Amino acid sequence: MRRAELVFERPEGLFARTPPETRGRGRDDVRLLVTLPDGHRHARFEDLPQFLRAGDLLVVNESAAIPASLPAEGPIGRILLNLCTRFRSDLWVAEPRWSVGKPGPLPVHARDELHVGSSRVRLLSEYPGIPRLWFARAARPFESLAAELGGPIHYGYTDAWPMETYQTLFSRVPGSAEMPSAARPITSRIREALEAAGVRFAPILLHTGVSSLEIEGETVEAQAMYPEPFSVSREAADAVNRTHAAGGRVIAVGTTVVRALESAWTPEGVRPRIAYTRLFVNPDRGVHAVDGLLTGFHDPVTSHLALLGAFLGMDGVRDAYTEAVREGYLWHEFGDSHLVFASR
Amino acid sequence: MTPSTARTARAKAPPAKVAVITGASRGLGRVLAGFLAKQGTALVIDARGGAELQSAADDLRAFTPAVVAVRGDVRDARHRARLLKAAGEWGRIDVLVNNASDLGESPLPPLVEADRDRFLQVFDVNVLAPLALVREALPLLTRSHGLVVNITSDAAVGGYPGWGVYGASKAALELVTKTLAAELKERGVGVVSVDPGDMRTRMHQDAFPGQDISDRPLPDVTLPFWAWLLSQDPMAVSGGRYQAQAAVWEVPA
Repeated sequence: MRRAELVFERPEGLFARTPPETRGRGRDDVRLLVTLPDGHRHARFEDLPQFLRAGDLLVVNESAAIPASLPAEGPIGRILLNLCTRFRSDLWVAEPRWSVGKPGPLPVHARDELHVGSSRVRLLSEYPGIPRLWFARAARPFESLAAELGGPIHYGYTDAWPMETYQTLFSRVPGSAEMPSAARPITSRIREALEAAGVRFAPILLHTGVSSLEIEGETVEAQAMYPEPFSVSREAADAVNRTHAAGGRVIAVGTTVVRALESAWTPEGVRPRIAYTRLFVNPDRGVHAVDGLLTGFHDPVTSHLALLGAFLGMDGVRDAYTEAVREGYLWHEFGDSHLVFASR
Repeated sequence: MTPSTARTARAKAPPAKVAVITGASRGLGRVLAGFLAKQGTALVIDARGGAELQSAADDLRAFTPAVVAVRGDVRDARHRARLLKAAGEWGRIDVLVNNASDLGESPLPPLVEADRDRFLQVFDVNVLAPLALVREALPLLTRSHGLVVNITSDAAVGGYPGWGVYGASKAALELVTKTLAAELKERGVGVVSVDPGDMRTRMHQDAFPGQDISDRPLPDVTLPFWAWLLSQDPMAVSGGRYQAQAAVWEVPA
């Protein structure tokens, strides 16, 4: 696939700049675009049960966001160091940025020493194929630096909100650099309505890194990916396989769940797995473990958009996004929701 | 204390981690050595060629003073003894990477035309020498609950024309890996095979003499994998065969 296929126009006015609950409404008071084979439905998020069936399984991510954005000072002055992927407590992949609104790559070098609070962090090597990411090593565990000095990773279109703003009903295990945001509108009220409709839930764990990568080369499939740790338990794998055996649909709540389940998929079904994944889900690969996806609206030219194309095809994505722009749906982590099903 | 004695004192402080990497003067071995040096790991490296080894060691010393470079051939028991003596002075081996490999004849011959003596030499370098190094390093590996990494190739399972001699040696090395993993479990020493995948290296060029291999990635494409592997508990991964350029790296259930 060529990069140009992931380009679309979306006015900045459609960025969700504040969480819906601060706009005087509940977390679940967002819109829901449902893309079905015969067209689009415009609904409210609380209508979600109408689009699911008894026997469907919603798979959610239990990872909780950490305050991964660290103030740092180095040879090039004051910068931000956004943590991305943990290998060990002293070894992470991280993104040095000029500021919240201004990304890298920065003119930094291997061995550059940064000061984060009173602790030293050394940049080791550029991440191969992703020049804005670096391997970084800290004299103190990064997790404790984050707890002491970090804030939520956020970008120019929104302020930093308190950390609880970035947790969902399912957040249980800290480790994500950014909020796995698709489950954000699922409040207790919504969950009860879904359960009453015979929809079941199963959790997986995937600690997500910094935002979906902008595809850099002309060939989308050649994009380097960074790894994310995940685990799919025996119980979750069984729930997915039983759902399929009974003719139900497996709906991923968020792109992180798609990545985890597809990384645990074999032709014999989903199996339990503890691993790191760099799997790039795109239209060529398609999806096998999941039948649907509940997600937000994604930026142009990102790997998440290619992932959406694995469900809808790129023509389907363009059609849905044209509809979303025309109807004024809101983008980003505090925005509206989109439910799609794989065309099989 | 003068600056120079301060530097000596720091160099002699016992390092937290020690790695032994064979064939580290270029390609994959050199890239891995550099990545570990930047993390403060003490290094014992070798290669047969002196000039390239010296330049690799100089590069590494920009990141850590704890670098010992020994010129020699891994088939030579006295050479291996020198490598392990250097590691022994630091009192441990956390990672032993058997990376030095012999591709055999270039261009790669069909198996029925392969030279018997070169065949034996390939097995000597790629199978017997790594095994000897593990045997001799066992006390240090045991003390550190270390990890042995045997570098393999997809030729070990491929059956590709021309790759029979090299592939057979790597297939043997993979069985050695699995067997050692089982046999060394009680000592708390892990053993894995790692297939780094196609890379733009001298060895890969030797396998395809005269061909353009510029579409292959540089060996730093494997750094994310090394960051992952060397962050795992050696016993949790022991016995595994990993592909450094794969999409998923798994800890076996």
